[in-house]
Amino acid sequence: MDPASARYVIRIKGHLGATMLSAFPPLDSRLHGAETVLTGCLDRSALYGVLAEIEALGLDLLEVRQLEPPRGPGDGWR
Amino acid sequence: MTVAQATLRLIDRDDLVAALDRAVARKVTIISAPAGSGKTSLLRSWAGRPGQRHRFAVVQVQRDQHDAQQFWLALLGAVRDACGTADGSEPTPPTPEFNGQAMAGRVLAELQDLPGPVMLVIDDLHELRSAEALVQLGWLLTSLPAQAHAVLATRLDQRLRLDRLRLTGELAEIRGADLRFTESEARDLLAASGIALSAAGVALLLQRTEGWAAGLRLAAISLAGHPDPERFVAEFSGSERTVAEYLVAEMLERQSGEVQDLLLATAPLDRVNGELGDLLTGRPGSERILLDLEDANAFVVSLDPGRTWFRYHHLFADLLRLELRRRRPEQVPALHRQAALWLARHGQVTDAIRHTQAAGDWPDAARLLADHAFSLTLDGQAQSIQALLRAFPPGGAHSELALVRAGSCLVQGRLDETAAHLAVAQAQAQKAPADRQHGLDVAIASLKLSLARRRGDLAGVIEQVEFLSSPVAGQSDEEIALDSDLRAVALMNLGTAEAWSLGLPDAERHLREGAVLARRIGRPYLEVSCLAQLGFAAKIHSLAITKARCREAITAAERHGWGAEPLITPALVALAGAAIWTGDLNEGERWLRRAARAVQADAGPDIRVLLHFASGMLQAGRGRLHDALEEFSAAEDLGSKLVGSHALASQVTGWMLAIQARLGRPGEARAFLATLDAERARSGEIGKARAAIALAEGDPAAALRVLRDVLDGTAPVIGYLTVIEALLLAGLAHRELGDQRAARQAAERALALALADRPVLPFLMTDSRKLLEALPRHQTPHAALLADILHVMHEETPAPSDQHESAPGADLSAGDLSAGELSPGELRVLRYLPTNLSRPEIATELSVSPNTVSTQIRSIYAKLGVRGRSAAVQRARELRLLSADRTHWPAVTLFRSVTLFR
Repeated sequence: MDPASARYVIRIKGHLGATMLSAFPPLDSRLHGAETVLTGCLDRSALYGVLAEIEALGLDLLEVRQLEPPRGPGDGWR
Repeated sequence: MTVAQATLRLIDRDDLVAALDRAVARKVTIISAPAGSGKTSLLRSWAGRPGQRHRFAVVQVQRDQHDAQQFWLALLGAVRDACGTADGSEPTPPTPEFNGQAMAGRVLAELQDLPGPVMLVIDDLHELRSAEALVQLGWLLTSLPAQAHAVLATRLDQRLRLDRLRLTGELAEIRGADLRFTESEARDLLAASGIALSAAGVALLLQRTEGWAAGLRLAAISLAGHPDPERFVAEFSGSERTVAEYLVAEMLERQSGEVQDLLLATAPLDRVNGELGDLLTGRPGSERILLDLEDANAFVVSLDPGRTWFRYHHLFADLLRLELRRRRPEQVPALHRQAALWLARHGQVTDAIRHTQAAGDWPDAARLLADHAFSLTLDGQAQSIQALLRAFPPGGAHSELALVRAGSCLVQGRLDETAAHLAVAQAQAQKAPADRQHGLDVAIASLKLSLARRRGDLAGVIEQVEFLSSPVAGQSDEEIALDSDLRAVALMNLGTAEAWSLGLPDAERHLREGAVLARRIGRPYLEVSCLAQLGFAAKIHSLAITKARCREAITAAERHGWGAEPLITPALVALAGAAIWTGDLNEGERWLRRAARAVQADAGPDIRVLLHFASGMLQAGRGRLHDALEEFSAAEDLGSKLVGSHALASQVTGWMLAIQARLGRPGEARAFLATLDAERARSGEIGKARAAIALAEGDPAAALRVLRDVLDGTAPVIGYLTVIEALLLAGLAHRELGDQRAARQAAERALALALADRPVLPFLMTDSRKLLEALPRHQTPHAALLADILHVMHEETPAPSDQHESAPGADLSAGDLSAGELSPGELRVLRYLPTNLSRPEIATELSVSPNTVSTQIRSIYAKLGVRGRSAAVQRARELRLLSADRTHWPAVTLFRSVTLFR
């Protein structure tokens, strides 16, 4: 992981189907209630690229959060 | 049946339209709302209402617009169309040297000249990726005249620097929340499409889509003709999927296989027509489908009145692209490739390159870019080229890109980098396959030529000339077109360089050839550039013909809207010079100011030498010797940076030295003289400088000795003007020695030489007033000329004894001016009143806003106690604020020797 990247979690309203998800290849996704949660490791440019894509697709952005660096082996997403 | 039979209508959202009406009462309205909120539809239905007071100038920014110039040209065209000033003239062609601020100023000027109210509408502003264009747009918006308003539509809030408008309450905003459909609007939408849905159903739909326009329209498409609308809504409502994805999937599902294929296959394109559709689906009938889709309002929009080109709504297209990649990933590169081939064949080169890049065919993309970069640059698409260059993966061994990078750096004025890239390109060209060798060689030679010219390396330019004598190469039309482009540019650069060094006959020939070729290949920018250089390079021996050529070039430039562009500077300066030579100092100053404004910061040393030279002449003519010396010194300094001798060199040096002598610094002048090489030191121009120095040192006999060579023709001179100066200096020397008769004879001879072309400047330069005044006026055969010269002298450099005669403003008694004297700014404007320039044109000339000019004119009228322009001019003449009309001097015959620039 290059030092300029970080792990981000991005929450979007609604469930993203396979088509929409294919717009975010570097991110993993899971559903959480009525939301979709995307997580992944992104550097600055990639982060703003993702945000621009969210805007372009007319999605409803709920939250962008930078995570603490993982502390141990059991800390990843399934 | 390919598309749902029931067609959708766009409804009138009256409340929203009314809100927009209220908003545009302010100067600028910004509609800022996410994709699919219905901005464009709103603008269309609002502007399309019958019975509008306003004229509309509408621009929709193209996707990913990097080129500020393209945006401004579109806006200018829209304003012209709205005002009907297009009057059949060609649209302004793009130029390689684009000045955004000047262009914004032109748009403003057009707006100001309008009789009635006008509304600027700019849609999709977020697609404008040029930061400088945004800055200039911000300036335009804060400078709008009273009768112009603007509406901007964007998906993102942008930095437009409209704070001033916000503070004065001139800015209105309409935001996403305002654009949400209300329940009654939703009902109207559904009813207009013949959809029967219960009130509960409508409410549910509205809630699910949150009033999002695109969502509602997509839902309506699926609902129209649906057997069970209530169930559809219930299912839709119960699903957690994002609205767009769900509904687009639904919509696609309901289309026939043919329509789906077309939509998916053409998704990667920015614009579609029937031919492309057929090509990419491998099936005929695409045009019919596109037309039907538009009629059904299914997010397909035609771009031209003939309905041949179409565009998908951005959101829709994005989803289609994703869908394509998901369903048929293996087809994607092939689709890009096929599209690229078609686009390249149809002249849409930048798009073709983009698609080739998208297909991952990097070497092909590189070659395509290399072949077209030059022509694209001439088309003013330098920014697009940079964007395309950035898209290439780093470290790829794309040899031909070095050439493109060189061109790009040259445009940006980064000359050392240009040279570096050229060196790389040259090395790689030798390893290129045989069929590409010639083209690459020509391109490299042409770029080297342009670089040499930018650097002022005149010798380097002339070195590159051999490739011009090779025949036009290439079989394909494309290759020939590129070759012609390169040739025309090369001819222009070569002719210019030759005019600067001493190969004048060749210069004329090459420039004429360049102009003719440029006209033939439809490159007005190059044609005007050649004409401008011809004006400067005129081997013509009379000032009148120089003036005529320059005016021809300037008119041609103005016809295309390039009156203030760098390319016309040589003609402007040459015209200024010609005016100054004949004593029209005010006119000369006007042209010079215009030239100075047109020159850009990164202009090469050659044009700057010219500017300093002409400015020096102007200052000397006005008797401002210190300023003149500064200008000539600057010209001398810059001139030494030109590699290879230049035509003005001895003239510049000669005058610089003479003025140093007049200012009482003969020692300095002598010191500089000593540094000159023997060749230059022999010239007549330096000879007369020596004489001037001797006179300043109080040794008239020595002056006469030095002048002998010049006067008997043994010293080489640039032209007869030097001889005139020499004669005057001799006359002054004789006067010092007490020989009045010899002095008068010398002066008469000088006047005789000046009779045909009437150059006044030599007389001003040599400070020969006392000499001329001693001539008995009624006895000399050149009485009229003498009177004119003395008149100019008195005006420009009034001696103390002249004060009572004609010094501007000096003889005003109290009460002639009611509210104080005219300010310098007002005096400047006053000088333009006798011309037929309108106020906006005067403002352009003076680089101020038209409002400022109007204010100044009002003040001038008040101070002069008049009501109108002609009255003001007359009164100003009475008060000697303006010189009386000078009679127009007749056309002249040819002379043996040549004017300033030889």
